[in-house]
Amino acid sequence: MIRNWTKAALLGLALSTALVSVAEAAGVLTIGRREDGTTFDPIATAQNTDFWVFSNVFDVLVRVDKKGANLMPGIAESWDVSADALTYTFHLRDAKFSDGSALTSEDVAYSLTRIRDSELSLWSDSYKIIADMQTPDAKTLVVTLSGPSAPFLSTLAMPGASIVSKAAMEAMGEEAFAEKPVGSGAFMVDQWLRGDRVILKKNPNYWEADKVSLDGVEWISIPDDNTRMLAVQAGELDSAIFVPFSRVAELQKDPNLTVVIDPSTREDHLLLNHEHPPLDNPKVREAFDLAIDKQAIVETVLFGQGEVANSYIPKGALYHSDDNGARGFDAAKAKALLAEAGAEGITVNYVVNAGNEVDEQIAVLLQQQLATVGITANLQKVDPSQTWDMLVNGDYDLSVMYWTNDILDPDQKTTFVLGHDVNMNYMTRYKNDTVKQLVADARLEMDATKRAAMYGEIQKLAKADTHWIDLYYSPYISVTRKGVENFGQNPLGRFFLEETVKTY
Amino acid sequence: MTAALAPRHRLLRRPMLLAGLGLLGAFVVLAVFAPLIAPYDPIWQDSAARLVPPSAAHPFGTDNFGRDVFSRVIWGARVDLQMAVIGVVFPFLIGTAIGTVAGFFGGWIDALFMRVIDVVLAFPFLVLMLSIITILGPGLGSFYIAMALVGWVSYARLIRAQILVLKTQDFAVAAASLGFSRGRIMFRHLLPNALAGSLVFVMSDTVLVLLNGAAISYLGLGVQPPVAEWGIMVAEGQGFITQAWWITLFPGLAIVTLAFGFSLTGDALADLFGVQE
Repeated sequence: MIRNWTKAALLGLALSTALVSVAEAAGVLTIGRREDGTTFDPIATAQNTDFWVFSNVFDVLVRVDKKGANLMPGIAESWDVSADALTYTFHLRDAKFSDGSALTSEDVAYSLTRIRDSELSLWSDSYKIIADMQTPDAKTLVVTLSGPSAPFLSTLAMPGASIVSKAAMEAMGEEAFAEKPVGSGAFMVDQWLRGDRVILKKNPNYWEADKVSLDGVEWISIPDDNTRMLAVQAGELDSAIFVPFSRVAELQKDPNLTVVIDPSTREDHLLLNHEHPPLDNPKVREAFDLAIDKQAIVETVLFGQGEVANSYIPKGALYHSDDNGARGFDAAKAKALLAEAGAEGITVNYVVNAGNEVDEQIAVLLQQQLATVGITANLQKVDPSQTWDMLVNGDYDLSVMYWTNDILDPDQKTTFVLGHDVNMNYMTRYKNDTVKQLVADARLEMDATKRAAMYGEIQKLAKADTHWIDLYYSPYISVTRKGVENFGQNPLGRFFLEETVKTY
Repeated sequence: MTAALAPRHRLLRRPMLLAGLGLLGAFVVLAVFAPLIAPYDPIWQDSAARLVPPSAAHPFGTDNFGRDVFSRVIWGARVDLQMAVIGVVFPFLIGTAIGTVAGFFGGWIDALFMRVIDVVLAFPFLVLMLSIITILGPGLGSFYIAMALVGWVSYARLIRAQILVLKTQDFAVAAASLGFSRGRIMFRHLLPNALAGSLVFVMSDTVLVLLNGAAISYLGLGVQPPVAEWGIMVAEGQGFITQAWWITLFPGLAIVTLAFGFSLTGDALADLFGVQE
């Protein structure tokens, strides 16, 4: 009897938990990621982890399409540009914030003023070009620029320029808002369990709410790659991002899973410190470029999930040029160049991010490749919190870094990398005044064909100088359970969760 | 029974000691003759043979760079044994000297050293080690310095306690009344009698140092790549554990086996000296 009772009880318990979990799971998509977000104040972060969630919580004036090739209407239904390219008039659509209040031109002006002027903003410089904003009515915003700017529209699509509710921000205060924001995106923040997960639920006031299928989304942080993959394999998570390259082939074989590989704008490169002789000699830098077998990195570290990079502008991105004199792998020529420059048998200090598996693997591989042409690279593993300072201070010879584009236009990255900006051309200390001038000119050129030619020239000159060494382009790799559909990112990283469907 | 046979006979009656010393001896042989035993260069990358499972050509398989794991484990014995030995020798010497002086002289010298020991002990061991290494910069040298700065306190306390007991015993009093110098009494009469406990502790401490060294390398603060070291190998293999378990398993086993060897030897020595751990 007792045995039967327990059996019945167990059965009942199993049934009830099964029912409960089904009821809960229906329509809520769980996504595993490496780390938790840092804030919900759009202007106060530059991290992909934050930006990728912002895209579905907030809206922007102008969006980037799925292919990452064109701008398309966001909150601005349409816009007119004056003939002198100084005045932009945006016509806003009828949209509401998650608290039900109407989104007006006032909110947009407030949000753009914040990113330009607030002390919290990490992006002030990119928006200094905005001289004035007028709101003739609730649906119209007139922006006047202090000078023509080709990349201006693209900067409005950056998640940092997300539109926040002025009333909510002022009522709650900036700190409280950063915990539980009021936006107009497809989802709204229900709960944020710091360090663990962000719980989003569907925003009934979203202007395209009828398109949204999911009831909610949970971004769950699971730092360990293996654990995160196991959680998806075991069905504890619906999906996970940051699939390690080494696991792709194996996960693709699992009939319960779909591996989603989306093109990205990520480009990994080897920084060279131009201030440290003999790296100040262009011949020596060219020798480094020739000595590195990038294909070997793609095969060994990326397990073939990527391709060799030939330009700092990622393949598929605006104004990428293949015709820039990118060099192949030629160890013999590298040796000859080093001999010519009198730099045989040199030793360099290679700063590696400790704990970053891919970084460490590239380091071990490059160390051997450089050794074959007589360059000794001493690896210095440093905690990632310290590497940035070391690069800024110039305490390095070589170091691998990466960049993902935040905006469609190449101007932002180009300015950081070649425009002789405050960051010493992305810590390389590269100097070329012709390139500097071209970067400044290209920003002002409104004709697309002429601009393309200018960027072609910039890429050629920078490559000839070996400002850094382009290593590889890699995609965004995610994994989902079978039955999760329309899950993916555009090359700038935006997830289209408003279109994602969970069929189980 | 001849006198010459007696020691061997005693050793044979202690299988634990025999097994422990045997294991340690085996690792020493591996370390010394690594270039002769290892079939491949431990840092040579063979891009055509990456992640190969254990086979005749690669008994322990290959890692993600196509390096032979068997050869790396053998070469790793050099680094890990060196770490274990150097990581213990300096704390032992420093701790023994300080413990002897403090115990023998007592008074303010003793009080001073004891307070320093209290301060060192107030911090968790690994945290203190990590902070020192972070300041000095990653590398084996920093590891040894950190070990010496942190590890000596255990030895100092052990020796001091022994000296405190011994210095009141008849033979010590007798030596003093014969007019022998303090140095002679300390180092010729007291210290040899106080050492047995420390020597046993050295063996068990070596295990800890070995594991610490592996842990420090695992965190990226010890041995730098591409050097073959077991802790680093375990760390590097972790990302591949679901598809290439051999990269992690074999260096892991090597750490365990060597640690076991030291443990066995320590226990057996404790038995031999009649020391209670």
